[in-house]
Amino acid sequence: MSDKMKTYPVVDVKTHHPDMKSFYFTQIEEQIHPGQFFNLWLPGVDEKPFSVSDVYQGIMEITIKAVGPFTRAFMNVKRGDLIGIRGPFGQGFTLHQHSLLIGGGMGIVPLHYLARLLRAKGFHFEVILGGRSEKDIPFVTEFSEWAPTTFVTEDGSIGYQGLVTQFIKEIIYRSKLSHIYSSGPEGMLIRVMEEAAGNGLDYEISFERYMKCGIGICGQCVVDGSGIRLCKEGPVLNRDEAENVTEWGMTHRNAAGKRENKLS
Amino acid sequence: MKPDISVTFLTKKMSSPLVLASGVLGLTADSMKRVLDAGAGAVTTKSFSMEARKGHPCPTILPFENGLLNAVGLSNPGAEEMNKEISKLRNLSKGLIFASIFGKTPEEFGRTAALAAESEPDLIEVNVSCPNVESEFGTPFGASFRDVEAITKIVKHAAGAVPVSIKLTVHCQSLSKMAHVCEESGADAITAINTVGPGMLIDTGVMKPVLANKVGGVSGPAIFPIALKAVWEIAGTVKLPVIATGGVTTTDDALQMIMAGASLVSIGSAVYYKDLDVFSNINAGLLDWMTERKMKNLQEIRGKAHE
Repeated sequence: MSDKMKTYPVVDVKTHHPDMKSFYFTQIEEQIHPGQFFNLWLPGVDEKPFSVSDVYQGIMEITIKAVGPFTRAFMNVKRGDLIGIRGPFGQGFTLHQHSLLIGGGMGIVPLHYLARLLRAKGFHFEVILGGRSEKDIPFVTEFSEWAPTTFVTEDGSIGYQGLVTQFIKEIIYRSKLSHIYSSGPEGMLIRVMEEAAGNGLDYEISFERYMKCGIGICGQCVVDGSGIRLCKEGPVLNRDEAENVTEWGMTHRNAAGKRENKLS
Repeated sequence: MKPDISVTFLTKKMSSPLVLASGVLGLTADSMKRVLDAGAGAVTTKSFSMEARKGHPCPTILPFENGLLNAVGLSNPGAEEMNKEISKLRNLSKGLIFASIFGKTPEEFGRTAALAAESEPDLIEVNVSCPNVESEFGTPFGASFRDVEAITKIVKHAAGAVPVSIKLTVHCQSLSKMAHVCEESGADAITAINTVGPGMLIDTGVMKPVLANKVGGVSGPAIFPIALKAVWEIAGTVKLPVIATGGVTTTDDALQMIMAGASLVSIGSAVYYKDLDVFSNINAGLLDWMTERKMKNLQEIRGKAHE
């Protein structure tokens, strides 16, 4: 796979539930870092960025939830269908000992691949995952097997009832963790940044903005403050990079490049 | 005496002859500031219109072996939003700011130019040559002498004290005649060239064109010789300063453009090949080249290829 567009067959599909599926691809030649993403082209529909949920034994997994026209159309993709793939793009997570993985909703996806690599290294880590309901949390079984995992849902259907941010401080203190990884809704990420800063912890966070080219030239995914490109210098930013951005939680840009107030 | 790559463009001093071409990283003030900090002497905004435009669905930009194919479709947040970015950038950097504009009709070019002039850019670059909106806009205005004449006059009038450069396409009957039309209609400069084509890429798996728009403009190293010849032809025809753009990736490319007669050299697709370092690397390359030849400034080689 490369920057150039090429179609690859879907070798398998796993249905988590009718609105959330994993799609599997082979022919992976390069090393893919957790947190990196691919642009997936559904011929005749559109092209959108997706982070990798797993790379295991030469098979790449992309996990998609139906939320808009593109992802809804993707739910009809079957084994053998050809999907255009460009990437891997961007900077991913680096591997650290004694970490806490904080994920919300589909933001959990890149943390799944990260957890696999941390586990392979024998690193100690704990996990806290949140969502509206149990069905909004992918990879419940895998995380539960791999690491001490706290689940938090808004409806209490799995784990505690509430928001993940209520539990971060307690876990950091109890387990003496020194590095935070996070991915999820921006409102949650801002709370994670505050908690991390308050506790003097380093972090790596995966952010999201509207992307087009994936190769750092169109300027669609630049963020205010530092002007960095999330598709190139991101989507995973470290503490210094994330703190230099001034628009978190306030604005993002739509397809025209026009600022919109961010609802998170 | 140490060589100096600073240049004077129209009346303004620039630290480098390198310009960020329109369509690359030109959406926000902070993004353009990064490019100026990286060594560009000026930045050109993404082309903007009076109202915001979504552009085409993706894929919009595709690398191929020797260049990029794009059909972004002139997505932009509209003149009001872009003016805010230009004003913000003015306070962040000393680099020059070129505002790239377009419209659906000559009158709309005029109104957009009048709006753009409110933010007092150092130049208004008039994009009469985008090849990616033909299904919506028809044949680019840049193909017609009469349209270019009308747009140049109307924009020049609307721009007031802000100088105007017309961005030309090679897809016209005669570039030298088109350059004359620009000069006689009051243009202050010419930007050459826009992307070439349109072109196409087909995926052999699904056997369909890859761009959502099917066709798109070709840029990057593939078009450098075409752009160079266009610059040479225009610079040999008119006295207007030429902003050369098209496939410049290396110091040698930039030198060739200057020898063909370019006053400024724009860089766009090379940001993909060399990232933002391309600006400081070419600046350093120009200085080294001049030092070896004991040259003081770039004026000594400008247009040399015509002698």
